[in-house]
Amino acid sequence: MMTRRLSRVACVLLLLANASAFGAGTALPTAPGPARGLADSAALRATIFGVPPDQMATIPANVPLDEINIRLHGAQRVPDVFWFDRRLRVWFSPQEKAAPLAIVISGTGSDGNTGKLATLRGALYGAGYHVLTLPSPTFPGFIVAASSTGVAGDLMQDGRDLHNAVAQLVAGLPGAPQITDVDVIGYSLGGANAAILKAIDNGPDSLHIRRVVMINPPVSLFNSIGRLDKLFAISIGDGDAGIERLYQKLYAQLANLYRASDAVEIDENFIYAAAAAVLKTDAEYSAAIALTFRIALINMFFAGDLYAGTGVVVNPQHPPKVGDSLEETMRILRGKPFSEYFDKVFAPYYLKHKPGSTRASLIAENSLDIIGPTLRSNPDYYVQTNSDDLILDEPELDWLKQTLGTRIAVYDHGGHLGNLGERRQIADMLDMLAGRWTGAPR
Amino acid sequence: MKAQLAMKTMCLLIAASCLGACTGQRVSVRATAPTPVSASAPPAPIGAIPPTPLAPDAAPNAEGGAATAAALTPQDAPSMRTYDPWERLNRGTYRFNARFDEAIFFPVADTYKRVLPEPVRDGVHNFFGNLAEVDSIINYALQGRLGLGARSLGRFALNSTIGIAGIFDVAARLNLPRTPTGFGTTLAKWGMHPGPFLVIPLLGPSTLREGFGLLADYGTSYAIDTGGLYRSTDKSWVIGGANAVDQRANVDFRYYATGSAFEYETIRFLYMHKKLLEDEGLHADEPREQPVPGEPAGK
Repeated sequence: MMTRRLSRVACVLLLLANASAFGAGTALPTAPGPARGLADSAALRATIFGVPPDQMATIPANVPLDEINIRLHGAQRVPDVFWFDRRLRVWFSPQEKAAPLAIVISGTGSDGNTGKLATLRGALYGAGYHVLTLPSPTFPGFIVAASSTGVAGDLMQDGRDLHNAVAQLVAGLPGAPQITDVDVIGYSLGGANAAILKAIDNGPDSLHIRRVVMINPPVSLFNSIGRLDKLFAISIGDGDAGIERLYQKLYAQLANLYRASDAVEIDENFIYAAAAAVLKTDAEYSAAIALTFRIALINMFFAGDLYAGTGVVVNPQHPPKVGDSLEETMRILRGKPFSEYFDKVFAPYYLKHKPGSTRASLIAENSLDIIGPTLRSNPDYYVQTNSDDLILDEPELDWLKQTLGTRIAVYDHGGHLGNLGERRQIADMLDMLAGRWTGAPR
Repeated sequence: MKAQLAMKTMCLLIAASCLGACTGQRVSVRATAPTPVSASAPPAPIGAIPPTPLAPDAAPNAEGGAATAAALTPQDAPSMRTYDPWERLNRGTYRFNARFDEAIFFPVADTYKRVLPEPVRDGVHNFFGNLAEVDSIINYALQGRLGLGARSLGRFALNSTIGIAGIFDVAARLNLPRTPTGFGTTLAKWGMHPGPFLVIPLLGPSTLREGFGLLADYGTSYAIDTGGLYRSTDKSWVIGGANAVDQRANVDFRYYATGSAFEYETIRFLYMHKKLLEDEGLHADEPREQPVPGEPAGK
């Protein structure tokens, strides 16, 4: 099997494959504050390396896992090039007895079975929950199988699509498990999605969501992504030349490490060791983080352009067919920042479909502030974040503290998701879901 | 011959899937084998696995302590583009492989993982790994990497005897880890470039050189016929089937798990550049050709 170990090797090389440069400035306002938000060097490192093994929460060694592939009612037509995404793929871990259901939503551009989701799944299952893990509404598999627009990134629209998908999923869970309550957890953008999901959960198909825990959520979606765009520009540079330079530098570093090592092949152990050897400085941490976020944008941009017919990289009259090469399309997209997605795909589409809206209103609507009154008054919303999270700045962290009051846990260190799975984070999350959280420091 | 075995296996698997597949349903549920959380997750945080220290002054890759050539500079890196003159055919094959894997190969391997306990699966995996040591011994000799060849020979001798026909990997416990190689790597060692990207039906991404190497490995196994397993019609069906399922069960990969329309491009890049990096290691003690700027990698 020739594909062996490729998924592991992707740790480093996928970053290279998706390296992209920045185009000219656009109408999307520049994100305020420093490019790396509240993060210092330790936060950047924590964001990349995660929780040390000795600080991880104890989770069950074995968790039952059902893969569910569902064709949803109300989904859009599926373009030829997305023939493999007709069904939404989610993952379910059932308890054998009646139990609350924890729905967990992934971060920007991620699928429903990431390492972070596996950690949360294990912790929640161990605490007695049925666990359903979902991809982000910005994941291409979700955009194709579950989005009603194909243009991802609008908090409310994504929330409605998510609610529609979850309602159908919960109604048809295998084995018809007995569900006593429904809670929702999300990390990063998934945190904001989780809050919106509960906020709009009041129609005839209500899931009766009890509590929500947002882990490292953004406050203003576009501010956070704009900040990451800025981080990329600073750490990697502009244009194709910047991409090539980064790639050539990393290739030479990896090759030299491999030549000097006693590894017989490039396997996961070599890649882990190489990543630790290659990523050492703040600039390198920053580049890796910014690249990881940018990977999602290429797919979101392509799908949005295809569905909206905005013609940035896809000719609406002659969309790509199965078997067509997409190399050039991908290379063009690598040169496009989020601001261009906003200006050329997102804004044109939503200005047309939301009468009376403006660019400014579209930006304002993509903030947790749109459910600010609910977050202030409803005691069932919780937040876990870090004082050094790179997707936030001081005013945004202050807004979260003031809005959530005693329902927010702000940890000193962890960067962005760098403490997800740590003992205290997991214990606090479970307390929040159970309504036991007092806000008192432990 | 392994190739024949593989084809027979596939025929069996296709027949099985025709009976069991349910592709027209709105909802499908697949209970996956319970796996440790760490094993089901994508790569763990780097800090979670104590990495083997890598440093420029570490032991050289070319065993025997040969001096390495001058360090690579960024100017030595190949183009990010991949040489793929058969792209349309390759894309069709990739799509076929994805459908085949989703409908047949993965479900069979997943059922295998759920039904058989881990120690039994480990035994099966060790058994096939031990058979493959024969290829490794020959190819390490052809590559002139005698230290690694001796290690494979030692592993084969230990595991075939004390390890009861290879079912137990005794050698690994004696600090002789498995380091498989094949004729594709031998060709690389002899100086052959990877050649164009190639997607092989059922097997997946490769290059022309690696594909040719694979055929040679199959031929070698058939010629040597270890234990009489490769030429006997009855045994070859069983062995071929079990080998295919064991291989799939040990590969942590799902087609289109990325959900991305650019998966083919991404996999092509990853595969080709992994091979190029491995080639750099094979020629660590030799002068290096400068890449032609802009020329696709692999050409």
